[in-house]
Amino acid sequence: MNWSFVVSNAITLACIYGTLAIGISVTWSSLGLVNMAYGFIFALSGYGAWLASVNISANPAIVMAAGVLTGAVGGLFVCLVAFIPIHDKPNFPLRALIATLAISLVGNQALLWYFGPRAKSLPRLFGNWNADILGVIVTSDKLGASVSAIVLLTAILLWIRSSRRGLEIRAMMMNPHAASLVGIGVRRTGFYVMALTGSLAGLAAVLLAQTYYVAPFSGITPMIKGLSIALVGGLGSVPGAIIGAVMLGVNEALTSTLLGGQYVLITQFLLIILVLLVRPRGIAGLLDKAREA
Amino acid sequence: MPAAADRDQRRAVLDVRGLSAGWGPMRVIHDLDLAVFSGERIGLVGLNGHGKSTLFQAIAGLTGWQRGSIKINGFEVGRIRSQGPGRYTHQIVHRGLALIPQGDEIFHGLTVEEHLDSGAFTRRAWAERGERKRRILRIFPPLEQLMKTAVGRLSGGERRMVAIGRGLMADADLFLVDEPSLGLAPKIGKSVVEALMAVDLGASAMVIAEQNVALLQGRVDRIIGMHAGKLKGEASASSRNFSAERAR
Repeated sequence: MNWSFVVSNAITLACIYGTLAIGISVTWSSLGLVNMAYGFIFALSGYGAWLASVNISANPAIVMAAGVLTGAVGGLFVCLVAFIPIHDKPNFPLRALIATLAISLVGNQALLWYFGPRAKSLPRLFGNWNADILGVIVTSDKLGASVSAIVLLTAILLWIRSSRRGLEIRAMMMNPHAASLVGIGVRRTGFYVMALTGSLAGLAAVLLAQTYYVAPFSGITPMIKGLSIALVGGLGSVPGAIIGAVMLGVNEALTSTLLGGQYVLITQFLLIILVLLVRPRGIAGLLDKAREA
Repeated sequence: MPAAADRDQRRAVLDVRGLSAGWGPMRVIHDLDLAVFSGERIGLVGLNGHGKSTLFQAIAGLTGWQRGSIKINGFEVGRIRSQGPGRYTHQIVHRGLALIPQGDEIFHGLTVEEHLDSGAFTRRAWAERGERKRRILRIFPPLEQLMKTAVGRLSGGERRMVAIGRGLMADADLFLVDEPSLGLAPKIGKSVVEALMAVDLGASAMVIAEQNVALLQGRVDRIIGMHAGKLKGEASASSRNFSAERAR
């Protein structure tokens, strides 16, 4: 039993899935949109990064920037197609769910048609070396993935906490009705949010492609994991999503070591059901000290 | 108190003509006319369910449907609209409306300070927000110690102060205050209304909807009654009963 392997795996997975979960959570709470096309944005930005690595340069910074930018563009596309035209119509959450699901299905088929079924692999962004942290041997790709996810997430969360646009996004997350009363435009904020969460999907895609491949349907499983983490953390709560990500990351690493990789989804959903039975609002129900209006 | 003719020459901040509005099959406001002039403080009184809040929401574009003309500073913001409440609200707000809604629509996780910041949406208001926050604190001194507290943890009276303060942060020309004393202990409700009376309006105007006429009597420029979706009294600056009463 190799504990260092379990720990390093758990942390890496937690970072990547946490990035996705925060994206899904923020989209849901500020726009009321469950973005089922998140997996498509994920796969799309993997291809964006791959194209950049083939046609422009295999420089890690360029590959990563290409992935993040493609993700932002994908997010804006989803916003234009599935948010702007229908956000003020009745039953918006349901319509948006169907619209984004359609984008996801069509988009994945389009990727399959254009790039073919063969998986692409990205260049190794973080070199090929091992680090020894407190007796735990960590490979460079895992360390690089964790560190870059944490750095970028921290930067984005700080931006949301301190900037004026961030204030608008947080206000929308807490009370969209009151937000329009203080002059915050729903559509404009929608663009910021979708570009931001899209770029998070792009980042996660580039990082996960270090251990897996870029394929037309590679976004489905990460999206399911991101969505379930967002659920377990309490939709709309960033700290909840982080704790949920750590929990499910540990679960995934433990299950695949102890039982085998095929049981991961089973134990994961058992865990989620357990948490939601005890805390129906997710982990955020424990963290939230402020009374809701 | 200016005479009616006098008032007509002053700038109309809000000019509502032939407004009907409601929710789904229900019609709450019936062909209503209302003019509000700059510098005025108006009391809007009426019982529950007679359309005070719906009138305010119609002006902000938040009702289910509405028709009729609404002009804020001469700019037409009323449109025939059958769906999408809130679709144009932020544009109307940018035209100079500050709606302080009933039952404080607050952002429960933001601190008081962030809350006040969020009210300052124009470029100028944002640049001057430090000075404006100090002004709000002079009106509501109890907020001083609470600036870093999440609004969700405040008491009802403190929340109401925050909601009103947020409205006052804006560069608004028209303040619509919906039931400022609702749900508060009488003493606190009274102090909130008193604070509203103390606000220096300058060229802007304020409409306060209130059920408790005693709180407003003799302290506002005119009182308009609202009954079954229609206005009674000095709605379009014609009769002068209330101002005559006030002059005494």
